[in-house]
Amino acid sequence: MSTQDADGPARILPNWGSCIDCGACEVACQRTWDLPTDTQRIQVVRMNEGTDDEQNKPMQCYNCTDAPCVDVCPTDALFFRDDGTVRVSGDLCIGCHYCGVACPFGAPQYPDAEVPEAEEMDPLGMRGNGLMDKCTSCEPRQEEGLEPACASECPTDALVFGTPGELSERLAQDDAVKPFSDESARVVFGDQAEEVMPE
Amino acid sequence: MPFDILFTEPWGDWGWKVGVYVALLGLAGGAYIAAFGADLLAWRKDNPRLGSIAKYGYLSGLLALIVGPPVLLSHLATPFRAALIPLTMTNFGSWMTIGAYMIGGAAVGTIVMFGWTAFGTERPYRDPELKGRPIAADGGDAATDGGREIADGGSPEAAAIDEPAGGLRVVAGKVGVLGLLDRLADVTRPSEPIRMALGGVFAIFAAGVLVYSAMAFGSGPEGRVALWNETFLLPVQILSGLGIGLGTAVGLTALLDGDTGRALQNYALATVGLMLATLLAVIATVTLLPSVEPAAEAGVANMLGEYALLFVGGAIVVGILVPVVLLLAAVFGERRGALSPTAARASYFIAAFILVPGQIMLAWVYLLAAEYTPLILPV
Repeated sequence: MSTQDADGPARILPNWGSCIDCGACEVACQRTWDLPTDTQRIQVVRMNEGTDDEQNKPMQCYNCTDAPCVDVCPTDALFFRDDGTVRVSGDLCIGCHYCGVACPFGAPQYPDAEVPEAEEMDPLGMRGNGLMDKCTSCEPRQEEGLEPACASECPTDALVFGTPGELSERLAQDDAVKPFSDESARVVFGDQAEEVMPE
Repeated sequence: MPFDILFTEPWGDWGWKVGVYVALLGLAGGAYIAAFGADLLAWRKDNPRLGSIAKYGYLSGLLALIVGPPVLLSHLATPFRAALIPLTMTNFGSWMTIGAYMIGGAAVGTIVMFGWTAFGTERPYRDPELKGRPIAADGGDAATDGGREIADGGSPEAAAIDEPAGGLRVVAGKVGVLGLLDRLADVTRPSEPIRMALGGVFAIFAAGVLVYSAMAFGSGPEGRVALWNETFLLPVQILSGLGIGLGTAVGLTALLDGDTGRALQNYALATVGLMLATLLAVIATVTLLPSVEPAAEAGVANMLGEYALLFVGGAIVVGILVPVVLLLAAVFGERRGALSPTAARASYFIAAFILVPGQIMLAWVYLLAAEYTPLILPV
């Protein structure tokens, strides 16, 4: 398990073929961080709605290299940390939803729950009151040498965690399903897209 | 097979308030530009009729700015934090930041240009013989611009109320601030060439507001919301903003100044031209956009299907065609002597009155009908 490597930040990626739609990832996230019920840092979303192929799969923030949310945030509340991950400052966010409109993965959430101000000002704390909230990749757990809660508790290893190099190795295995289209991969991995997800 | 992921649609993120905001920003930017154009012509041609249209154009923009940004602030999670713009809006790569500063510049310009044209004894386009003399009092002679010369002991407030026209000054007089506003305007007003130069600078900000009114929708990552394709959305928003800006200036001038002369009629015809151009831009969007950007097909289908009543009935018929008919009827009815001045004034004002909700309905349709381009996953 890696938190960060020279080749980029560690990310959680879905391995669609292994997911059984159990929702354990959502529960693990909610329970680990004691989040309000309407906060979904990892969200099981519906695909191919209304068709025979309808399924539900988990999506969350992928800490994109070319993060559209960072580009459009008017107040610089969204920013890149030195390790390349994306964070939101609770004291700068104005809850304008520009990041929600920009993010192709539907990651930004705007829970209305009442959250103490001290919690909102904590860089890794939960957000409420309409401010933007998103996955933090369980940074405190990583500092303890643990994987993010969702990846740790996924019963089928459908959530893969690692640096771009580690993800590349994992995705090269036979049972792994390429998680993104080439276009989406370029948003997430930038110039590393072809290394991580060779065509 | 690929999977399409459907997220909450744009309306879920932004809702009706952002639609109102975008529509009113179009009005604010368009009204200022229309007003400054009239102001410039009035100065060059020494035509007080055009000056009157300029004054009410600035007023239209001012009213839109008084309402629009607070509506947006009420949509935000932290409106007071957002209002501290110089401290909070720091990402100049974001159109919301650019727009906030454009609005700030345009607001300053709209306030001062309106104040300088509407108040003060030295205000432009006032009868030259009356310039520098206190305005009207009971028993004074009616001035050509609607004011009366002030008699001994008469107050400007009392005089303003007595004015046969110039409703704004009447309102200021009733509130008791007319004298203060007149003095303030006279003290701060620069010479006319400098005022025009400043007005030109502020017009750049107003143009920025007009562009931002479109980019507020269309500034996201390319293709995220295909219906908001900038190539198609910018002409719609710019043309409609200019159209309703000019239209509301015409309507307010007719209502408050009672002037329905040739200059106003020409501006009404210009409004008709801009609104018909808007209609063409909208038609181009629904007919051409899906072929240029196939992902926009769903949004266009929503406009013509689920939201057809709001789009066709509200935005196009009520918001464009009815005002166009009213404006044409007023202009040609008056020119041919078939319409009384009162009926013409009513037509101009009603047209202006319904242009604004029409613009709001158009913005709502663009929000309601919009769909995020589904995220295609290779599974």
